[in-house]
Amino acid sequence: MYGSDFTPPGDTSDDTPRIEATDLDAQFQAIIDSDGKIEPRDAMPEAYRKGLIRQIAQHAHSEIIGMQPEGNWISRAPSLCRKAILMAKVQDEAGHGLYLYAAAETLGADRADLLDLLHSGRQKYSSIFNYPTLTWADMGAIGWLVDGAAIVNQVPLCRCSYGPYARAMVRVCKEESFHQRQGFEILNTLSHGTTAQHAMAQDAVNRWWWPSLMMFGPPDDASPNSAQSMAWGIKRFSNDDLRQRFVDMTVPQAEALGLRLPDPGLRWNEERGHHDFSPIDFTELFEVIKGNGPCNKSRMEHRRGAHEEGAWVREAAAAYADKAAARAAEAPAA
Amino acid sequence: MTELSASSGHLSDSAHADKSVYALRLGDDALIYAQRLAEWIASAPQLEEDVALGNIALDQLGQARSLLRYAGAVEGAGRDEDALAYFRDERDFLNAQIFELARGDFGFTIARMLVVSAYQWELYSRLQASTDETLAAVAAKAVKEVDYHRDHATQWTLRLGDGTDESHARMLAGLDLLWPYVPELFETDELVTTLATDGIAVDPAALEAPTLAYVDAVLTEATLTRPVTEVRHTGGRRGLHTEQMGFLLAEMQHLARSDPGARW
Amino acid sequence: MTAVPAAAISADEVRSIVAAVLDPEVPVLTIDDLGILRDVTVDASGHVEVTITPTYSGCPAMEAITADVTQALGDKGFRDVRVRLVLAPAWTTDWMSDAGKQKLLDYGIAPPQPRDDTTVRLTLSLRCPQCGSPDTRELSRFGSTACKALWVCNACREPFDHFKAI
Repeated sequence: MYGSDFTPPGDTSDDTPRIEATDLDAQFQAIIDSDGKIEPRDAMPEAYRKGLIRQIAQHAHSEIIGMQPEGNWISRAPSLCRKAILMAKVQDEAGHGLYLYAAAETLGADRADLLDLLHSGRQKYSSIFNYPTLTWADMGAIGWLVDGAAIVNQVPLCRCSYGPYARAMVRVCKEESFHQRQGFEILNTLSHGTTAQHAMAQDAVNRWWWPSLMMFGPPDDASPNSAQSMAWGIKRFSNDDLRQRFVDMTVPQAEALGLRLPDPGLRWNEERGHHDFSPIDFTELFEVIKGNGPCNKSRMEHRRGAHEEGAWVREAAAAYADKAAARAAEAPAA
Repeated sequence: MTELSASSGHLSDSAHADKSVYALRLGDDALIYAQRLAEWIASAPQLEEDVALGNIALDQLGQARSLLRYAGAVEGAGRDEDALAYFRDERDFLNAQIFELARGDFGFTIARMLVVSAYQWELYSRLQASTDETLAAVAAKAVKEVDYHRDHATQWTLRLGDGTDESHARMLAGLDLLWPYVPELFETDELVTTLATDGIAVDPAALEAPTLAYVDAVLTEATLTRPVTEVRHTGGRRGLHTEQMGFLLAEMQHLARSDPGARW
Repeated sequence: MTAVPAAAISADEVRSIVAAVLDPEVPVLTIDDLGILRDVTVDASGHVEVTITPTYSGCPAMEAITADVTQALGDKGFRDVRVRLVLAPAWTTDWMSDAGKQKLLDYGIAPPQPRDDTTVRLTLSLRCPQCGSPDTRELSRFGSTACKALWVCNACREPFDHFKAI
């Protein structure tokens, strides 16, 4: 997932279903314990079902809100090849959203209800999309850093206990890695291009680095939902472990790009076998989650606007389907 | 097998120039249409349409790239697809005006897609037989893609025309807005008739009857009728455009022009 | 990797290097499985010419595939490589290999059915790649990439992609 499944400290609106031992019948826990898969028609604790719907829906919401910051640049892409790649990428995100809503529906949810929850602000999407895309280099930084972080977050979900979600993630991760490569190529071209292009690339990395690290969520000691997700086999690694994996993976790539990661404290720690990095200022993340990021309002307004503007189209489609069904019922049986 | 480069044929210089212009006309149609359709991405009435319109825009962009690349190769002045897309000014764009009209609402979008995809289907299904190998190859791919676009527009025309009172009214309004720009698609001139005589191009005049027959059949089933109007707007093939074109190009071209020597 | 003298390698061996390159959008398929690798030739001087064709006009992966083919051959010592992009004859899903179709199915994507030009888009029943039931329905004719549509199985509820026949 895109890492929005957490809440600021002191937020009491969290509706995360809590684990209750009495909910778990022996059969269900046996499947989980043996690393088996739960399928849509299997019995499952209500809290597991609700928690999964919420997580899959937030992932789907993130895909569709995530179309906006990149969709911004389709009309302005600086070459036809880049325009085609970006168009295909945003289409891919819409396709992933569609697929994930269908995966949530296997658990008895309804896409229209989930969209209502998004539009009314009762379900969230990844906070990373509340940052603006200011230059073309942001298309590279999103692909390289944001998609890169998303992949690190999502790869463990390929083994998550819920079958349809796990299988969806296998395909989504493979498709996302093409996006990450394309983002890297955009930055690589800019970094080795004109002076102005190099500066544009460095500026984008400066702006997207810290938000990308925050996509993994708060530190483990401040992450309220992690323990139960782990017990259910939905989550496999802690936020800090995944964040460390991302940093270790990204540092050599930055060197290859000839771009600097904006952290003076970033250095290899021989003893740990990992890169050390400076503490993350999570107050910013929590502000964005609370709705005070640069684009929270405009993203939601755009989403609600498109939905409301399209209401007459959806009504027409429903009316036509009803008429067609009525006509089919009247027609003599073939 | 046909590569996207100019075939050194027996054609005269002027015939080469004409062929380049013809490819440019079709390429500009597809490029400008792709630019307009892409405006729907992240703004469509439902997620399926974000995907569908993005897909159709991408098909059009792909066709545009093949055609522009070929136009540049035939011209022989060293212009590639990006030079043609980003570094020509408005008066040098040769698309028909119907493609550049502002995005409009979903009713207008579907009205335009119905007419344009029916036209492109008739065009490309004939252009497959062009004596020019490259144009024939581009057309053979494009016709399969446009077939899906035409089907998509057909299904939505039925839903909107025979859906609710509002959707019916919006489809009629979309058709009204569109119709003065339809005849330009079927206009012919000396350049294209000469190429058509040589079997290179398809004479647009020959596409009018089959295109409108398809459109009429769909409109009738959708309880809609084709608008009657004497108003005709034209000029795109000579580089005369609507006021909406300048804004489209400004947005599309500004970044590429901001650092002209740069690779992106 | 040391450069291999070109003459020592047969055209078949060169082809097998190229044939193993994966399609970036459906990375369980090689470009050979997909049927977009049309030809590989090696001339006496060791110059390799690879011919590929796009699935759709707007395919955003052709540049990446060109780079991957060049890289794969370069890794084996072939530096004099040209990748040609051709449009004709137009690609069709009929060129996808049976092995490719099986890989798709194993990956969870319903493979394309043989084309029938008289009923281009008649909605044929597809078997769910997860449970095998024929009780399935189309959710969206357009999917995450141009080549796919989204379907759902009524029996096991699994959503799945269908590789459309063209």
